Amino acid sequence: MSDISFNYTSTRSEKARISILFTKNKINLLYVAFLTMIILGFILIFREFPVGWSFVGFSIVSVMIIEWYNGELRHLKTLKNPKNIDDVLSCEILGRISKNPTPREIAKIIGIVPGGHFFAIRFGISNSFLCEFVSNDKDDMKEIWQESWKIMKNTKNQKISSAILLTAIIKSTPNSINLLNHLQLDEDDLISGIKWYDHLHDLIELHRIPKRTGGLARDWSFGWTPLLNRFGQNISQQIGTYGVSLLKLIAHDESLNQLIEIFSKKGRQNAVLVGPPGVGKTEIVNAFASKLLDATADIPHQLKFRQVFLLDASSLIANAPGRGQLEKLLMQILNEAYDAKNIIICLDNAQLFFEEGIGSVDISNILMPIIQAGNLRMIFAMDEQRYLKIGQRNPELINVLNRINISPANQEETIAIMQDKSVIYEFQNHVTYMYQSIVEAYRLSERYIHGLAMPGKALSLMESSAHYSENSLVTVESVRQAIEKTLDVKVSNASSEKEKETLLNLEDLIHKHMVNQEKAVQVVSDALRRARAGVRNQQRPIGTFLFLGPTGVGKTELSKALADIYYGGQDRIIRLDMNEYVNKSDVNRLIADASENSNSLTAQVMKQPFSLVLLDEIEKAHPDVLSTLLQMLDEGIMRDINNREIGFRDVIVIATSNAGADRLREYIERGYEIDSIHDKFINELIETKQFLPEFLNRFDEIVLFRPLNEKELLKVVELILDEINKTLSLQKIKVSVTTEAREYLVKVGYDPKMGARPIRRVIQKAVENTVAKKLLSGDVGPGSIIEINLENVSKILDSKITADELIMKSNEK
Amino acid sequence: MVYYSLRGYNNGMFLVGILSWWYGDGFSRRIQLIKERLISSIDFFSIDILLSSFFAPFRQISAGNVSGPIGDQIRAFFDKLLSRIVGAIVRSFVIFFGLIVIFLQLIFSLLTIIVWLILPTFPVIGLILTAVGGVSL
Repeated sequence: MSDISFNYTSTRSEKARISILFTKNKINLLYVAFLTMIILGFILIFREFPVGWSFVGFSIVSVMIIEWYNGELRHLKTLKNPKNIDDVLSCEILGRISKNPTPREIAKIIGIVPGGHFFAIRFGISNSFLCEFVSNDKDDMKEIWQESWKIMKNTKNQKISSAILLTAIIKSTPNSINLLNHLQLDEDDLISGIKWYDHLHDLIELHRIPKRTGGLARDWSFGWTPLLNRFGQNISQQIGTYGVSLLKLIAHDESLNQLIEIFSKKGRQNAVLVGPPGVGKTEIVNAFASKLLDATADIPHQLKFRQVFLLDASSLIANAPGRGQLEKLLMQILNEAYDAKNIIICLDNAQLFFEEGIGSVDISNILMPIIQAGNLRMIFAMDEQRYLKIGQRNPELINVLNRINISPANQEETIAIMQDKSVIYEFQNHVTYMYQSIVEAYRLSERYIHGLAMPGKALSLMESSAHYSENSLVTVESVRQAIEKTLDVKVSNASSEKEKETLLNLEDLIHKHMVNQEKAVQVVSDALRRARAGVRNQQRPIGTFLFLGPTGVGKTELSKALADIYYGGQDRIIRLDMNEYVNKSDVNRLIADASENSNSLTAQVMKQPFSLVLLDEIEKAHPDVLSTLLQMLDEGIMRDINNREIGFRDVIVIATSNAGADRLREYIERGYEIDSIHDKFINELIETKQFLPEFLNRFDEIVLFRPLNEKELLKVVELILDEINKTLSLQKIKVSVTTEAREYLVKVGYDPKMGARPIRRVIQKAVENTVAKKLLSGDVGPGSIIEINLENVSKILDSKITADELIMKSNEK
Repeated sequence: MVYYSLRGYNNGMFLVGILSWWYGDGFSRRIQLIKERLISSIDFFSIDILLSSFFAPFRQISAGNVSGPIGDQIRAFFDKLLSRIVGAIVRSFVIFFGLIVIFLQLIFSLLTIIVWLILPTFPVIGLILTAVGGVSL
């Protein structure tokens, strides 16, 4: 392989150079020349000019050239035992390269051929980009030829296409990894690109091959099916009209063979395709119908040209609403199918025929004898859960069905399916999909779309991304926008200047809402920055924090501030008071299905995956509830009551607790710094069995909140007053409270047990009520500043009794 | 001596290339195309299906099993027989018409092959006829 070289004078090289001479216009010109010469020739002959014979004779030369071009030059075949690069190099490249090509020359040629266009659009590797980094040294070509040869062999290709050559050029470049990183690609992606390009070529070739589907007398020995045509969907006919997918999937191949085997043998002529929604059950039925219609397919004679009809349960039920009508209609349809002798019935969503409920009718008593007799070929499609449910109720039915399990497609297969389907979506939506967008659609659908299996969910996201295309190009950003808009999550990394600014100044912004607790604010801010910069562990929640400390020190306030600043509002908080989950049976409430309890944790996160989960008073929850939360904290997933996996990878989990609050206060009063007692305090919580170590270990950070001192409480007062002023700004009124009055508010409002919580109530009483009275009495108007001094405040809060009352009310709350 | 034109290809290669392809791969390709067209025609007229199902009831009309009184069964038998006869007649027509089309196609294909073989000589024949003063049409 080391002596691979390029021979400029080989016959194939010569032919390739001739080939590129023929453009579409030149071919048309040859047709015109032929017609002109032959007409002129015969005119001359009829006018008895012998030279007319030469015109007629030479007109044939044009025809011969056209034939030669179409028959050989256009798609120059590769040699059977290739030795040199020119034996296998694609004609479009070979015809354009010079005697001693350089990588840059090749790159330029790639830019003007279809393979180059393909990579420019689908991968963003434009010609100018390629030319920028490739060398202009002809000695570098040897490595490129060798690399191309290697890729050709690895991808089981017969020729070196422009796509292979482009990949080889990139791989042979010294800084190829950086280059690919710049495009968010790796070498495997380029290989995948080659396969995609080849696949599109194969699709075009497939349409050129004449199809043999039985001819005009194919169905003459079989009966008419007017009812089936009315209520069913003739898949075989659709395939005949629109063609079929060329994609051969290994995962589906096995199921397809099983299906053919079941219907080829004598015995129960039925099959039930069992698999989750979106797994491709209907695709298998389509592939099966397509195979039966192909005269060249290797299938038993008794299956050839049989037609597959898809029966839509809901349409049947809608057309036969009365009691007994559906049974009658179905019997007529099945009799018609049996009499026709060439029909295979496929019941999609077959469970609708086997269970009683809204939109479904149990007609297993009718279907059972037909299935048992096995005279009519039938295919059923349903998901595993429904299949098992039907099996529980009607084990006899399950015994007579031939089960075929359909597994979800893996990543490689899903991406191949997506590339295959891209042709249809592109045609329907007038867009072009970039390769990166397809991979992103796979990744994001895997993570965010529930209730569908692969490849269904990836295809669904891919299709909806078309609506977010930029200049008709579906990019990674289009896919992210599609998922962000439909699911209301943030999946893109921070890109806007405003968001970057917010993230960098997160601590300052949070402190506009709350006082001190530097450590807590910092850990939360760091977690968010990591997440939005794209450096966090994607398999876990954005951050998991346990806030410990006495009441009224800002634990819940920090969560609210975060939701306000980052998530855009406090409605993004999914708040669970864990004192409502004190029994073992409460686990079911925590993971209930949305249809049964829309307030369950799993239902809320499923609906709004980009949220802040606040678990208040976590220490009060039952140990089983805490165990249920472990997987969520560890892996960012939780299973609901139906065993569905719910992603918690875009949430911040904050659990709060005032366990050991008295002990913490005691330490602080004894003059300890909060950092110095952190570990000791946590150990005490474990030793006193308030928390299990395995639970505490699941959190990214355990943050201790210390009680606020007087100075900090003054700041709390300031924040509350700012809030009041913000509200009053609508009426253009401002409240100003003197320092002495503020100090008095702190003095009255502070309670060692309740922290800063009663202060809000005190301010409400002393400030808000005063403002309200003044507004109503008409003493103040727009533009006024209401001055509140110590005298005003003490007048209202003049006795300790009043303050005590307020504190008591707070306690009650 | 190898002569290269300005465009970078050997002019001699052009003539050798076209003629060697014409009587080599080009000829095989022509035969292959004719074969494919014939197969397509056979497939279109479904000759094999028509022969194998020659006496099958046409469109399964009156083809079901009838049980009951002997009179009903005899009537069903004759109905079925009629359906078979109709089927056989329709099929005979299609087979006959199909065979004619295929036969004509075969003749045309043979002519195509002959023309293909002599086509490259047309310029020479044209020149000779010009030189000898042509032939009267």
